[in-house]
Amino acid sequence: MSAVELEEVTFRYAGVDAPALAGVSLTVPEGTICWLYGSPGAGASTLLLAAAGLAPRFTGGSITGRVRLLGADPHAAEGRAALRGRVAYIGAVPDLQLSGVAGTVWEEVAFGPANLRWPVERIRAAVEDAAGRLGIEHLLGRRPSALSGGEKQRVVFASLLAFAPSVWLLDEADSALDAEGRAVVASLIGAERERGAAIVVAAEDADAMLAAADRVVLLDRGAMVFDGPPRELLGRELAWERGPGGTSIASLGRAALARCGSVRLAEPYPLDVREAVARWR
Amino acid sequence: MKLHPYTPFLLVLATGLLAFLLPAPAGPAALYAVVAAAAVVTGMTRTVLAAALLTLPLWAFLLLLHAILPGGEGLAAAIAQGSRLGAVATASLMLIRGFEPSRFLDAASARGASLSAAYLVVSTLEAAPRLRRQAAAILEAQRARGLRIGGSAAGRLRALVPLTLPLVLGTLAEVDDRAMALEVRGFGGGQARTPLDPPSVTARDRMLRWAALLAVMASAAWRFL
Amino acid sequence: MSPRLLVLIPSAVAINLAMGFLTNQLGLPLYLDTIGTVLTAALAGPVVGVVTGLVSQVVRSLYEGFIWLPFGFVQVAIALLAALAARGRGFRSTAASLGWGAFTGVGGGVVSALISYVVFRGVTATGVTAVTTLLAGAGLTRAQAVTAASVGTDLVDKMIVFALVGAALRALPMRVAARYPWAVRAVGR
Repeated sequence: MSAVELEEVTFRYAGVDAPALAGVSLTVPEGTICWLYGSPGAGASTLLLAAAGLAPRFTGGSITGRVRLLGADPHAAEGRAALRGRVAYIGAVPDLQLSGVAGTVWEEVAFGPANLRWPVERIRAAVEDAAGRLGIEHLLGRRPSALSGGEKQRVVFASLLAFAPSVWLLDEADSALDAEGRAVVASLIGAERERGAAIVVAAEDADAMLAAADRVVLLDRGAMVFDGPPRELLGRELAWERGPGGTSIASLGRAALARCGSVRLAEPYPLDVREAVARWR
Repeated sequence: MKLHPYTPFLLVLATGLLAFLLPAPAGPAALYAVVAAAAVVTGMTRTVLAAALLTLPLWAFLLLLHAILPGGEGLAAAIAQGSRLGAVATASLMLIRGFEPSRFLDAASARGASLSAAYLVVSTLEAAPRLRRQAAAILEAQRARGLRIGGSAAGRLRALVPLTLPLVLGTLAEVDDRAMALEVRGFGGGQARTPLDPPSVTARDRMLRWAALLAVMASAAWRFL
Repeated sequence: MSPRLLVLIPSAVAINLAMGFLTNQLGLPLYLDTIGTVLTAALAGPVVGVVTGLVSQVVRSLYEGFIWLPFGFVQVAIALLAALAARGRGFRSTAASLGWGAFTGVGGGVVSALISYVVFRGVTATGVTAVTTLLAGAGLTRAQAVTAASVGTDLVDKMIVFALVGAALRALPMRVAARYPWAVRAVGR
């Protein structure tokens, strides 16, 4: 069974003529990291919201097509009941992901499991484990609202990790993190993949995602224009024509081609330093 | 040992009722003295002063309106009303100083009550300082862009628009993101939830509650029988 | 109650509380502490407006002493009148907002005069009390002075509140406004 299934999904926001998603079909099996890539407004955020069953319920607008998460329909009440606590969605602004009722980070991380009516001992163990994996044990007694943006972001990850979700839907969720925080989250996501979770992530950083993602889906004006391994997209002209571009080394190669026009520099461009050294030496 | 989070609310409610039930002006004045003494004993002397400061202008107007200007109800009425306000203000400031949102939420969870009402109050207390900071930030930003906030009344009135609209529109833009985050974490408002550290009702809680109830019933009987 | 309302109401209450800070900074003798109440009533109807008003009053009481709790009735009256205004497309223009604001100001002023007089013997929030004292000094009876002062301040205050809420509602992008059926009607779209 695939963890995330979208079939011919079209989505329109109220008052906007152009569809935000135009006939998107996408299947993400368990234990894979699928990267949604595209320029701002290409539809990656909307795709995540529609997959989570949050759009159009919270955003307004209208949807057609079929969505299944872990075999259940997140757009129907009984499907949502079956999915409670099994799907983690995280947006870009950590402030907006906090519960707003927790006096301490410990309570913030425990908020989700408590809503799921877990027994207290189980909640304690889950909070401890999640805090340890995000490196926030020293923050557990602090007020969430008094933390820095990066600390809040880690707390948000911990508070969803606490209920061990089967699907992660991440929308630029590491934007507030520093380099160390990004490394912590990247290894967490890797471990979640090993555990068998399906991960769909919208991200801008092509260099980081080249290594991390099993697969990239390029979106342009709501339509899927590429679906395959990141290596096959990020050195190709398509990444610039229909998206924000390739890796930084590939961009360098592309700029050099435009200057010199040498055949040695032709597409596909090298993706990282190792490839660049091998080709350009 | 801390009180159960419901007990201070019941005590403030009792103070409010007693303030109007006890015979004026000695009753309210004595009540004010008892509440202030309780605050001092529990180490909240500063709360007594804060409440006094809060009610100071009201005392001035009460004395002016009732004791100095013609047609008032006299000095005794001014003292009675001032003491009522002072007692209630002191009691409620004591409550807010000792208020712990998460214990309150846990107390509601432990009763299996619907969490909507508790969540509304607790999350408002969290949102209030946040919005205030936001208002201050907007004021700063608009000032930096050349908004003048001094000058004529009409000018200051016009300055309200560039200050209020960003606050209101910014808040509305965030509502859905926050609501989605709650839903993702299994919060619906209607359902029961695990109390993380349920506060217990101690002998001291029971004693205070009974004392408050008896005082209210006795003064009501005195007043109406 | 839906998660959206559970978020909207505390935010609106926090706006009510934050307005006191802004009017203070501007040195305006206004409250504007019902903007959030009028806003939610216009966005989501009378029930949500009334809840916003009552929670505002409870939370304000927590900060400033429970003495002001009886004024919760004023918030209820204003929420109901604002919902009525929204149904009547009362936020479609500044002129319409000012008109409905004046109407609401008189309604709210009468309720608040009743409370000031009956519960507080004429001494309430300092601004109104100052006017009351002045009027009483000028020879009006206390009942007349309280009514005149309450209605007078409330009238101007609510006209400005309605004008500001109307401007905010009309500035709302259609994408957001569409989530609140009452709002679309309130601005007459």
